[in-house]
Amino acid sequence: MAAGERRRSQLLRGVLDLCLLAVVAEEPAYGYEMTKRLRARGLSIVGEGSIYPLLGRLERDGLVETHRAASDGGPPRKYYRTSRQGRRELAAGVSEWQAARDAVDAVLGLAEAEVEA
Amino acid sequence: MSEFVEECRREWKRLRVPDLIANEMAADLAADLREAEAEGASAEEVLGSGAFDPRSFAASWAVERGVVPPPLTDQPPRRSLIHPAIAALTVIAAIGAALAFFPSRHDSVSSPQFVPRLKPMPPAFAVPGNGSGVDVHAVGLILLIVGIVGIFLSMLILFWSSRAGPDHWTRRRTYVDHASGGPGYS
Repeated sequence: MAAGERRRSQLLRGVLDLCLLAVVAEEPAYGYEMTKRLRARGLSIVGEGSIYPLLGRLERDGLVETHRAASDGGPPRKYYRTSRQGRRELAAGVSEWQAARDAVDAVLGLAEAEVEA
Repeated sequence: MSEFVEECRREWKRLRVPDLIANEMAADLAADLREAEAEGASAEEVLGSGAFDPRSFAASWAVERGVVPPPLTDQPPRRSLIHPAIAALTVIAAIGAALAFFPSRHDSVSSPQFVPRLKPMPPAFAVPGNGSGVDVHAVGLILLIVGIVGIFLSMLILFWSSRAGPDHWTRRRTYVDHASGGPGYS
């Protein structure tokens, strides 16, 4: 794995649970539907770990609630939606992410200025 | 793709995931894979790197969902004790050799000094004929034999464990524990 891919993978590892919480906070979704929503926003899991074990952990930790419902023309699917606890976790996670991102931007912004100079 | 689901089912059965939960997970997975296939998406787009290792994928899903306990770290039992045991047995054998082969104060000059006594030995703590107390040669010979046999058995166990691999001892299959998100996530 190239250094760039490895870095991307490591970054994704830390926030994929937040991303999943975010996509099901908007609207309940089943597993593959979440993958499609992530992909539509430029976040592909190809080459990364599966979302299913992560969904299992979110469910076990009570961060998502599930229910079965018919999908469009297909068999009944298990839909996930963010629980109250999950929304709190998401809010906390978003704050952490923004703080980390700002700090990294501050550092990388300086590096970028040095490269340009 | 159905082969992938069947592999997962087998792994869940092996891990003793309750049938109800295993069926539910298998049905969800199969439906997602069917939909992806119909849309022309690859299994990797649905499963990520888990697409290449169904058993590991299935095990990590079950563990993360909390329906089976996390696997123990596979370590050959007491393997770490084998090396210290060999060292201790070597010391015992060396002490035994020293006692058995080197002359004591009570040995006569004509006694063979570096040849083990092959004549019938008295019991280790029997009082020998010269009345000097414990027969240190007999004790030494016993320690030597115990040491050599112990070293041999330890080496045998060490050799066996290295050939059998870590699974041999626990009879459990390992999978990489990707704690938070299955294969690829930690």
